[in-house]
Amino acid sequence: MSQASGAGPLIQVENITRVFHVGGEEVRALRGVSFGINRGEWVAIIGQSGSGKSTMMNVLGCLDTPSSGRYMLNGKDVSRMSDDELAVIRNVEIGFIFQTFQLLPKETALANVELPLVYRGIGARERRERAKAALDKVQLTHRMHHRPNELSGGQRQRVAIARALVSEPSMLLADEPTGNLDSATGEEIVRLFEQLHKAGHTLVLVTHEPKLAARCPRAIRLSDGEIVADGDGRTVAMGTATDVLNAGGA
Amino acid sequence: MSQRSAFRVDVLEGARIAVFSLKANRLRTVLTTLGIGIGVATLLAIVGIIQGLNTSFHKQLATFGANTMYVSKWPWMIKGDWWKYRNRKNFTLEQMHRLRTLAPFVTAMSPAVSRLSDVAHGGEQMSTVRIQGVTHEYLNISGYEITGGRFLTEADDATTRPVAVVGADVVDGLFPGVSPVGQSIRIDNRTFQVVGTLSRKGKMVGESMDLIVFIPFKTFYSSFGKGRSFEIAMAVEDASQMRSAEDQLTGIMRRVRSTPPGAEDDFSINRPEAMAQTYEQLTGALYGVAVGVGLITLLVGGIGIMNIMLVSVRERTREIGVRRALGARKRTIVFQFLMEASSVSAVGGLLGTTVGLGTAKVVSLITPLAADVQPMTVVAGVGFAALVGLLFGIWPAARAANLDPVEALRYE
Repeated sequence: MSQASGAGPLIQVENITRVFHVGGEEVRALRGVSFGINRGEWVAIIGQSGSGKSTMMNVLGCLDTPSSGRYMLNGKDVSRMSDDELAVIRNVEIGFIFQTFQLLPKETALANVELPLVYRGIGARERRERAKAALDKVQLTHRMHHRPNELSGGQRQRVAIARALVSEPSMLLADEPTGNLDSATGEEIVRLFEQLHKAGHTLVLVTHEPKLAARCPRAIRLSDGEIVADGDGRTVAMGTATDVLNAGGA
Repeated sequence: MSQRSAFRVDVLEGARIAVFSLKANRLRTVLTTLGIGIGVATLLAIVGIIQGLNTSFHKQLATFGANTMYVSKWPWMIKGDWWKYRNRKNFTLEQMHRLRTLAPFVTAMSPAVSRLSDVAHGGEQMSTVRIQGVTHEYLNISGYEITGGRFLTEADDATTRPVAVVGADVVDGLFPGVSPVGQSIRIDNRTFQVVGTLSRKGKMVGESMDLIVFIPFKTFYSSFGKGRSFEIAMAVEDASQMRSAEDQLTGIMRRVRSTPPGAEDDFSINRPEAMAQTYEQLTGALYGVAVGVGLITLLVGGIGIMNIMLVSVRERTREIGVRRALGARKRTIVFQFLMEASSVSAVGGLLGTTVGLGTAKVVSLITPLAADVQPMTVVAGVGFAALVGLLFGIWPAARAANLDPVEALRYE
């Protein structure tokens, strides 16, 4: 894990905005968001649809750049980087876990897990060893030669988590990781996250489910592109009902 | 990651994905390959046939000798109204003799008249053999060599002897395993004695130059009638002075023929070498058109590639999104699709080259056209096909690379 570099928070977001232009209209998805996340933290970013949490997730994942403000990741200002530089940052610093798993359907589990290492220029043998080790962490070595369509939903998500772990990134960024799973399998994945958290990984989890956010030590609630709450996971997550009532009553 | 290892990733991963995806879509790959293949095959077959034609034509012209000229009633390559030549008066032997005395730069001269006849010896018979009536000097003009016996002599002509010198095909056809010299042959039921045999000269524009029998000029006229006009064949001293020799010859011929000043020449001077130029003009245009057709076929193949690549990019939008999210740079994605496009094309090129060469070979076997394909043509064929794939792959590849990763990941 590349946790060695630098003091201070792993993620420092300062007054970030993101404005989209849709058919001549300005849509302000983020309106000045600031927060920091330390190494080893497990943070949920929670909000209703349209709250700006997806945009936040894209910016945090370096798939999108903010319109203004500063985003420091692991000591580097990534808010003004070029496309190629961002590709390298995504490869080195971030492990993505998607709601729809986003595995390549025609490749085996092993080949899917190897993929980030391919783009890092690591040789075939080392790639294979590291991919096997990552699959071992999610207890899937026995299925590594199967294609995604031969795996259950939970197994697919575990392959995706192995793929996120294999490059030893600074943070794991999960987008509704249990959204496409039944509750039992979802619980299995959350337990895996708990283990990863205990092992020292930095986890950022984007979700609209209060129940999931409540499992996280810390949660940040977004609404209309702004932070409305930041604190203990259970408190922020369970605050939903009152927030919605407040919003409705206003 | 260093620049070099980044490039290695682009190439290796691009190649791996290309092969993978080509295998995954076999039928589509084969069909796309076919498009390019047909283009390359067409182009190569045409180029091969024309190259062969040119090579053999030049080889054949060379056997004529660079210093030969023929004064004839007809130009060898007729441009325009043929009847105007038909009405020209035949040459006479007197005219030929005057020409000889007036043109000191001519080193050898012979009248030449010919017809096609059946030739027989014993039980063997050959049809449409060229029978040519010439005099002794013709040997020095024609480029044949004597392989057995002798050529015609002045005395043969003066005394209208029924003697013959036979070409290599006639030897093979009528005298298998036997020396023909001293034997007799029958030409349209007249008996001739073979006095010599000729070296092999090969084909000229598809016609064998060895299916030939030379007999004395006067014997020809007495045997087959005086109706036919003859040409005057000659060799001149210096091959580099052909143009001025031709000009001088024109003047002399006009005097000999008493052509009124201002009137058109009533004869034609034919130079094999000049014929080559006419030939080149003719085939040059044909070459251009044929290559154009081949290129258009290739263009159609290229559009096929572009089409299939655009489909491929659309189908794999999510895959592109995933790859971008995991750290693939734009360039890596471009490479991936360019590799795919150019490898389909290269395979098509290889296929097309094989078919094209095969076609050219078959054509050379079943027709008198001799196809000739240089090894470089093969390399060029495959390389060119890959280049077409590369060119037509650029746009789809750029589209793939410029997809917004966020949008691509969301694509259904």
